[in-house]
Amino acid sequence: MRQVAVTGLHKAFGAHPVLAGVDLEVPAGSLTAILGPSGSGKTTLLRLMAGFERLDAGTIAIGDVLVDSPGAYVPPERRRIGYVPQEGNLFPHLTVAGNVGFGLAARERRGGKIDAMLEKVGLGGFGRRYPHQLSGGQQQRVALARALAIEPAVVLLDEPFASLDASLRAGLRADVQEIFRRAGTTAVLVTHDQDEALSTADRVAVLRDGMIAQCAPPEDLYRRPADAGLASFVGDANLLEGVLADSVVKTMLGSLPLDPAATALGTAGRVTVLVRPEQIDLGPNEAGLTARVTSYRYHGHDAVLCVQPGNDPEARLIVVRIAGGPHRPVGSEVTLVARGPVFAWPAD
Amino acid sequence: MAAAGTLADRRSDQGDRSEQVTPRRARRPVALLTLSCLVAAVLALPLVFLLIEASGAGFGDVLHLIFRPLTWSLLWNTVRLTVAVTVLCAVIGTAGAWCVERTDLPGRRAWAVLLVVPLAIPDFVVSFGWHSLWTWAHGFRGAVIVMTLAVYPLVYLPVAASLRMADPGQEEVARSLGSGRVKTFVRITLGQAKGAILGGCLLVALVLLAEYGAFEILGYQTFTTEIFSEFNSYSFAAACALSLVLVLLSLLVLAGEGMLRGRGRVSRSGPMAQRVNPPQQLGWARWPVLAAFAALVLLALGLPVASTLYWMADGLPPALSGGANVSLLDAAGHTAIYGGSAAALATVMAFPVALLAIRHSGRARQILERSTYLVLGMPGVVVAFALSYFTERYLAGLGYGTSVLLIACYAIMFFPLALVGVKASLVRAPVSLDEVARSLGQPRLRVLFRVTVRLAGPGLVAAFCLVFLSAVTELTATLLLIPTGTQTLATQFWAYQSNLSYSQAAPFALVMIIVAAVPSYVLGRFFNRPVQARG
Repeated sequence: MRQVAVTGLHKAFGAHPVLAGVDLEVPAGSLTAILGPSGSGKTTLLRLMAGFERLDAGTIAIGDVLVDSPGAYVPPERRRIGYVPQEGNLFPHLTVAGNVGFGLAARERRGGKIDAMLEKVGLGGFGRRYPHQLSGGQQQRVALARALAIEPAVVLLDEPFASLDASLRAGLRADVQEIFRRAGTTAVLVTHDQDEALSTADRVAVLRDGMIAQCAPPEDLYRRPADAGLASFVGDANLLEGVLADSVVKTMLGSLPLDPAATALGTAGRVTVLVRPEQIDLGPNEAGLTARVTSYRYHGHDAVLCVQPGNDPEARLIVVRIAGGPHRPVGSEVTLVARGPVFAWPAD
Repeated sequence: MAAAGTLADRRSDQGDRSEQVTPRRARRPVALLTLSCLVAAVLALPLVFLLIEASGAGFGDVLHLIFRPLTWSLLWNTVRLTVAVTVLCAVIGTAGAWCVERTDLPGRRAWAVLLVVPLAIPDFVVSFGWHSLWTWAHGFRGAVIVMTLAVYPLVYLPVAASLRMADPGQEEVARSLGSGRVKTFVRITLGQAKGAILGGCLLVALVLLAEYGAFEILGYQTFTTEIFSEFNSYSFAAACALSLVLVLLSLLVLAGEGMLRGRGRVSRSGPMAQRVNPPQQLGWARWPVLAAFAALVLLALGLPVASTLYWMADGLPPALSGGANVSLLDAAGHTAIYGGSAAALATVMAFPVALLAIRHSGRARQILERSTYLVLGMPGVVVAFALSYFTERYLAGLGYGTSVLLIACYAIMFFPLALVGVKASLVRAPVSLDEVARSLGQPRLRVLFRVTVRLAGPGLVAAFCLVFLSAVTELTATLLLIPTGTQTLATQFWAYQSNLSYSQAAPFALVMIIVAAVPSYVLGRFFNRPVQARG
C-alpha cells in the first residue's frame, strides 16, 4: 500500500522551473530517499509534501487524502507529517521535553509519552535540558523524537545528517533506520549523498532535471541504473563499448555474461556496458587485459586504482577497486580480469 | 531600517546552498497586509493634515511662505547641524563600538554599559546642563556638542550589535590574503557594519530634524523650533509650509540612506555558531583610547548629571519643600503611565508591519515599511496638531484634552523606534521554526503565540523600552496635548527652566534621568545578547 503519492508535480519559482512533472510513490512502512545534486529541487519537493509551498500543477496525496492540487490544499498542521529539518531547528525557548511534547495535547504530555519518545531515540533523562546544552547529534535526535511523537502519517527528513561529522553520522543513520523499522514508520529522506541514500533507504528516487529519473531499491539502482548518466551519478562507473550476442557481451575486458534483467536490448547488437570498479580484479595470470597504473588511492579497507588499458594513451581510463593488497606503484603493469554479470544499454 | 534591518539581512541570507529557496508562505498574508496598511494609514495622518492645511491656505500662499529669506537661513542652520552631528556620531559610535567589541580594551563590559546610558538623558537636559553652566555653549557650536553627546548611542548600539554578530572568519581570511590591519578594517569590518552605521545615522539625522527643546535652550533656530513658535502664535499656514519643507528634508535623508545602503547584503556562511575571536591587541594605544572613552563618558553622562545635582544642591531648601515633592511624584506617575501606555500601543502596532517586512519580500511591502519612518522626521508639534485637528473634525472633539490623545500621539511619533526593536526581535524567531511548529499540528495563530511571540519576547521588551524612553523625554507634543491641570516630568521641568528657576527644574530632570535609565539599561542588555535561535 502506498502512503504518499505524487503525480505530475510542477513547481516554478518565478520564471525558473524547479520541478517539471514529478511522479513518486512512497510505499507504507518504507524509507524512501530522494537523491539529487545541489539545486535539483529535492528540498522543494519535500517542502511541497509538507505543505510549506503550493504546487503549480499535479497532485500530492498522503494516505487517502488529497493534500495539494490546484483546487485543494490541506495546511501543514492538518497533514500529520513529522518534519525533521536540516539543522534540527529545536525551539530554543523550550526544554527538550517541551520540544518533544510541542505537538501533543496537554493530557498526552503528562502521560509519560515524552519520556518514552526520548528513550526511543537514546536520550532518556535529557528532558530538562535546553537545546543549546546538546551536541549537534543529540539535537537531531530530539528533532526526530519531536516529529515521531505526533505519530505522523509520514516523516519527512531534509538532509538531517548533513551537519554532523562523519563518525556521528553513521551511528545516527543506523539508529534512525532501526527506529523506523521497528515502528513501521513511513519516511522520506532528502539527501545529496549517494552513499547515505544507498545505505539507509529501502528505495532510492533520483531527481534529475526536475523529474524522477529512476526509483528503485538501492541494489537495483546501483547494478541496473536506467541509463549511463545515472550509473555515473550513483557510484563510480566504467562505461565500455561492447557487442552483444547470445546473452554474452564482448568487451575489451573479455566476454562477460549479461544481466538477465537487461531485457530492453534485444538479442544482438552494439551496446554500452556498465562494469563497476569492484567487478574487476587484478589477475595473476596472463589471461586478462594488460594495463598501466596511473593513480593509486589507498583507503585501508580497499584501494582504488586508475589504469590505462593496453598501451594506448588515447584509451579511456578504467577504475578498479581492490580489497587492500600490496601497494601498486604508479607506472607498474597489471592484468585486469572482469566478473559478470554486467548491465548494458543500447549504444548511442 | 536601522539595527533591525541589518540583523534581518544577515539571518535571511542562508549562505551557499543553492538548494535553499527564500522562504515563502503558501498563502498571501492577507491579514498581515490589512493590518499593516491600517497602521500605515494612521501614521500618514500628520502628512494628510499638512496637505489639507496647505491646500486650505492656497498653494500660491504656501509657495510664497516657503520662498522667503527665513526659510533659507533655517535650511542652512538645519542642514549644517544635521550633517555635522551625523558625521560626528558615526565616527564616535563606530569607533567606540569597534574598541568595545573587537579589542582588548580594559573594562570592556563596563564601557559597553556606560556608553549607552547617555541615551537616558533627554536632549534638553543635556543642553540645560551645558548652557546653565557655561553661556558659551550656545548657537551652532553648542548645538553640535550637545546633540552629538546626546544621540551618539543611536549609532553605537546597532554597530556594536552587528560587529558582535558578524562573521569574524572574514577578517581572518582577509588577513591571510595579505591585507593589513587597516585595510582589513576598512574593507571587511566597516563593510560588515555598513548597514548598522547607516541605520544609526538615519535615526540620528531624523532625531535632529525633529528636535525642539535642546535647540530652544541653546538659542539655535532650526525648522522645528520655528514651526513650534509659528504654531504657538497660530500662524498655521506658515507652520505648515515650513513643515512640508521639513518633511521633504526627511524624505531626502531616507532616500539617501537607501541609496548608500545599496543592494549589497551582509551574509554569513555556515551555521551560526558563536565563535569568539581573539581580540585585537591595542598595545600602547590603549592609553589614549581609554582617555578618550573617559572623556566621552564624562562629557555625555557626568556633566549633565553633575550640573543637575549642582543646581539641586544650590536650591536645596525650596526643592525639598512639601509642595514640590508632591508635584514631583505626581509628575513622575503621569510620565510613567503615559509613556508605558504609548510604548505598549506602539509595540502592538509595529508587530504586523515588522512581521510583514521580515517574513515576506516584495517591493510594495518594502515601501510600506519604509514609509513609516517618515513620522520620525515629523516634529511632535505637527503630529499633535494633526491629531487634534482630526478628532475635532471627525470625532466631534471626542478624546480631545484627554490623555488618550497624548498617548496616541506618542505611539505615532515613536512608531519607527518600536518597529526597529520588533524587527530585531523577530530575527530571533526564524520562519523555519514556525514551519516545524505547523508540521506538529499547530494552527497558524497558536504558532504565533507559542513560538514567534515567545522567541521575540526579549526584543519586544526592548521595543517597548525604546518607545517608553522617548515618550518620557518628549516635550513639544506633551506641551500641546497634556490634559489641563496635569504635568509630566518634562513639562514641569520645562516650565521651571523657562522661568530660569534652575534649582526647581533640576529635581525633575534627575527623576527623568532615573526613570529613563532603567529602559536604557534593558536596551543595552538586549543589544548585548548574542542571537540564540539556531537555523
